[in-house]
Amino acid sequence: MSDTLIKLENIQKVFFTDEVETHALADITLTINKGEYVSISGPSGCGKSTLLSLLGLLDASTEGLYQLAEHDVSNISKKERARIRNMEIGFIFQSFNLISDLDVEENVELPLTYRKDLSKDQRKAMVKEALEKVNMSHRSKHFPSQLSGGQQQRIAVARAIVGKPSIILADEPTGNLDSKNAEAVMELLDLLHAEGATICMVTHDPRSAQRASRNIDILDGQVISDNSLTKENKSSDTVAA
Amino acid sequence: MIWQDFKYAIRLLSKKPGFTALTTLVMATGIGLSVYMFSFFHTILFKDLNFQDGASLVMVSGSINGKEDAYRINALDYAEIKSSVKGLKEYGGYNNANVVVSATEGAIRFPAIMAQANIFQLTRTKPILGREFRAEDEKAGSEKVVVIGYELWQNQFSGENDVLKQNMRINGEKHNVVGVMPQGYLFPRNAQIWLPLQIDPKQLVRENSTTLHGLAHLEDGVTMAEVNRELSVVMKRIENQHPQTNTGISAHVTSIPGVGGADGAPVIYTMHTVALLILLLASINVGNLLLSRALERGKETAIRVALGAPRSRLISQMLWESTIICTLGGMIGFLVMAWGLEITEPIVATFFADPLAFWWDFGIDTYTVTLFLTILISTIFVTGFLPAWRSTGGDFNAVLRDGTRGAQGKKAGRLNRFLVISEIFISMTVLISSAVMVQSAYEQTNSDMGADTENSLVASVLLPAANYDTDAKKAHFAKTLQSRLENSASIEAVMLATSLPGHYSSISKVIIEGKEYSKDSNNSYPSANDIATMPGSLAKLGVELRQGRYFNNSDDGLAKATALVSESFAKRHFPEQGALGKRFRLAKTAQDNIEWVTIVGIVEHTIQGNRDGDAASMPAIYRPLTQAPRNQLTIAMQLSSKGSLAVQHLRKTLQGIDSELASYRIETYQASNDRITAPVVFISSLTAIFAIAGVVLAASGIYGVMANMISQRTQEIGIKRALGADEQRISREFVFAGVKLLLWGGIPGILAGGFMGFAMAQMFGTSYSSLVLIVIIMVSIVVATVLVATYLPTKNALRLEPSQALHYE
Ligand SMILES: Nc1ncnc2c1ncn2[C@@H]1O[C@H](COP(=O)(O)OP(=O)(O)O)[C@@H](O)[C@H]1O
Ligand SMILES: [Mg+2]
Repeated sequence: MSDTLIKLENIQKVFFTDEVETHALADITLTINKGEYVSISGPSGCGKSTLLSLLGLLDASTEGLYQLAEHDVSNISKKERARIRNMEIGFIFQSFNLISDLDVEENVELPLTYRKDLSKDQRKAMVKEALEKVNMSHRSKHFPSQLSGGQQQRIAVARAIVGKPSIILADEPTGNLDSKNAEAVMELLDLLHAEGATICMVTHDPRSAQRASRNIDILDGQVISDNSLTKENKSSDTVAA
Repeated sequence: MIWQDFKYAIRLLSKKPGFTALTTLVMATGIGLSVYMFSFFHTILFKDLNFQDGASLVMVSGSINGKEDAYRINALDYAEIKSSVKGLKEYGGYNNANVVVSATEGAIRFPAIMAQANIFQLTRTKPILGREFRAEDEKAGSEKVVVIGYELWQNQFSGENDVLKQNMRINGEKHNVVGVMPQGYLFPRNAQIWLPLQIDPKQLVRENSTTLHGLAHLEDGVTMAEVNRELSVVMKRIENQHPQTNTGISAHVTSIPGVGGADGAPVIYTMHTVALLILLLASINVGNLLLSRALERGKETAIRVALGAPRSRLISQMLWESTIICTLGGMIGFLVMAWGLEITEPIVATFFADPLAFWWDFGIDTYTVTLFLTILISTIFVTGFLPAWRSTGGDFNAVLRDGTRGAQGKKAGRLNRFLVISEIFISMTVLISSAVMVQSAYEQTNSDMGADTENSLVASVLLPAANYDTDAKKAHFAKTLQSRLENSASIEAVMLATSLPGHYSSISKVIIEGKEYSKDSNNSYPSANDIATMPGSLAKLGVELRQGRYFNNSDDGLAKATALVSESFAKRHFPEQGALGKRFRLAKTAQDNIEWVTIVGIVEHTIQGNRDGDAASMPAIYRPLTQAPRNQLTIAMQLSSKGSLAVQHLRKTLQGIDSELASYRIETYQASNDRITAPVVFISSLTAIFAIAGVVLAASGIYGVMANMISQRTQEIGIKRALGADEQRISREFVFAGVKLLLWGGIPGILAGGFMGFAMAQMFGTSYSSLVLIVIIMVSIVVATVLVATYLPTKNALRLEPSQALHYE
């Protein structure tokens, strides 16, 4: 069995809006292995978020092949995509995206409620574990508006990991945070990586990028460089285009 | 600056023509309908009479067992009121009468007023020719005089000035024309002939007294409520002195347009409430649409604040938007409403056989314009100022910093839910209660009066009392008319009665032989429709015989007084032993002339007059016209194939019998019956229009709010989908939320609507099974509306890819 978790081949994404065609992703071919900590960088508008959306099955590519854990997911039903997002993928967003009507515990529990195989007690236990991991157990009954940005993002991390996904996708997770809070969140990601999580993170910040085990640079919808910084990194067949 | 804001508002509105058209239409509907409703009832009930001191002119009417209606008041009671009630002055009074005027083209029947001498002074109006009545005109045996109206003068006397030297034959007697009233003068309602009312209180007996409508002016500074208190004291005193005749009898004053208004008060209040609700719905919907648009522009507003725009400028700009929408909508509504008022008059005119009351002049008047402007300004305030205040009062820093709507979104969410709940509540209530009204109108127009009205004409005849002063003469006339009409080839059957099935009838109190009645009061005797018919008429009308026999020639003489009664009469008064052979008498017959009447047959129930409630179930007694002749008769003629000549034949026959006889109200039997239900049909159609408008407004409001609510949560939908919720799950969540709102608004709505519907069903006699059916249908409509209003926007939001939804602003 291979360690390959994600395999993209010749992925293109074109947005059609009011007669304008935007080629957000030109031709992406990329493999991500289990346990990798990948950072994606590049100037604003180069297609980073679009790539992350495709990886997270939040959108479909216009062209190309996408294999997730050796399954072709390019052309699966919406229902199946929802199931995979729920089971295999954890999202962390720049703007936290907590639901303001739900308290901390309910926010973290939310993805678990979309599963049918978990009892209430199981869910509670998983939520408790996730909150402990991000050090937010003491705030479980608070509402998002009562928390600082750093705290909210830690809750968002807990929500991303509560279902034990195969991969965590983070789109500029520190973009809305001051440096101290940013640092805390980055340490949290380090910790998760150390525990074996696969992480794919879009970031502007070179210091954050340094923490990753592999850096990918994108320009105009194409990968322009892809280097692994650590020796332990598994071989990669990715080629700079 | 203001000009700039105005231009900016215009630009915003023209950028979204759909939004502008919708909101304008909503305001047009709300303002147009409510102004119409208020103006309509104001004209009928509350208009100031256009006379000097018109505001203090009141009508003194009777009340029976607490029910205030246009009951006439006993002349003896009125005399006591005159001498005791200090809050009123210039007492006068009148009675309505039908008179026959002999004109060159034949006899014509006119509605006339028998008035006390001061009638014209009460309205501060002088005749344009001749004189008013004088006190001596009221004395019995004085010279017979008449004052005529301008229109009559023009039509009958070609407007000639020597009219004062002429005389008119009225009811077969010569009357000197002593005065002509000005053009348009129709007081108290629609009069063209005024005759002196001659009452001599000294000759009156309480049991059988003349009654009349009282008229008076309020003393300066005295209110109607104060007079009413005085009146009830006086009437209580009379009641204590004369319990036999006066138990349960009191008196009250009203304005002249408002007389009898208390009777229809529930309907009037309901209609006014519905009109206000519609206006409220329209304003809330438009206000809410403007508010959500303002919130959409929250970022822009925040930038303006950052650039130093004072709050007043922001509010002014939003106010312009609502001012433009409301004014445009208001003008459209006003025009449509004005047209509606114009066509109201001819429609309402069909409800009455006689001309409309003179103040019933539907159209744009000062009241309507004032009301319109008031409503317009309030709607501008509600739709503009409140949302402007709300949308400019937020935390702009927060908006600029992270673009979230934050707490404001939450508050708006609560407001939205409240709106949907109230709109669900209002639509259920309005739908159920108006559907009951419509159902009742339907049942009433299709109710079985007990007679066959097909292919028949009806006409009324009035016998002048002076010429037909004995029972024998009246009976002879009826027989002659019957036999002559029957000889016509155009007429298949002739039926004569004081009142035909379906028509209003006089009601009498009856005393059943052998029954014990409270000795204290005449009020305890039961009532019945009191009808006299020609033998044979009931059978020909299709009023079926249930037991015994119809009238025949043996009922001709006065040897034995006989009667038929309706099935309802028999059931009510002889539930066990059967009515045949039993005897009753009329309570009004004098003590020394008791005539017991024997029941010889029982016929099916007929409805006389109003098709609903107590009136419809009022039992009837029938007497043979030959035994109990009357002065006013209605003829029904079943037409043969050559029926087109029937009217001509009727006129000729009457002329042949007596040139001073007038037939009037010649129309089809069906038309005469339709007129009785026409007001109900009109009011229920009006209600239906209001209900439909209300529900369309509510439905579009619910849709608007739900669509807004859901679109505001697009991002949340994106988040949930990112976390793995599938489409079904999301739809289900929103439908559940919709159902929750449905329960919150719907259960009280069903209760309130059901309660009102139940009350109306009881009042109108609508069956409970149709009430239940109505509730089920109307509830389904509202439920379907809410589900559609939830499902469509959800479906819409789900069309976006989750990645797009996440970045939705
Ligand atoms: N839903 C969309 N519709 C149209 N164009 C889009 C959409 N999402 C992204 N784009 C365009 O695609 C390009 C890449 O966007 P994005 O992936 O968000 O860039 P970034 O690298 O800053 O995250 C940009 O030019 C953006 O304008
Ligand atoms: Mg981005």
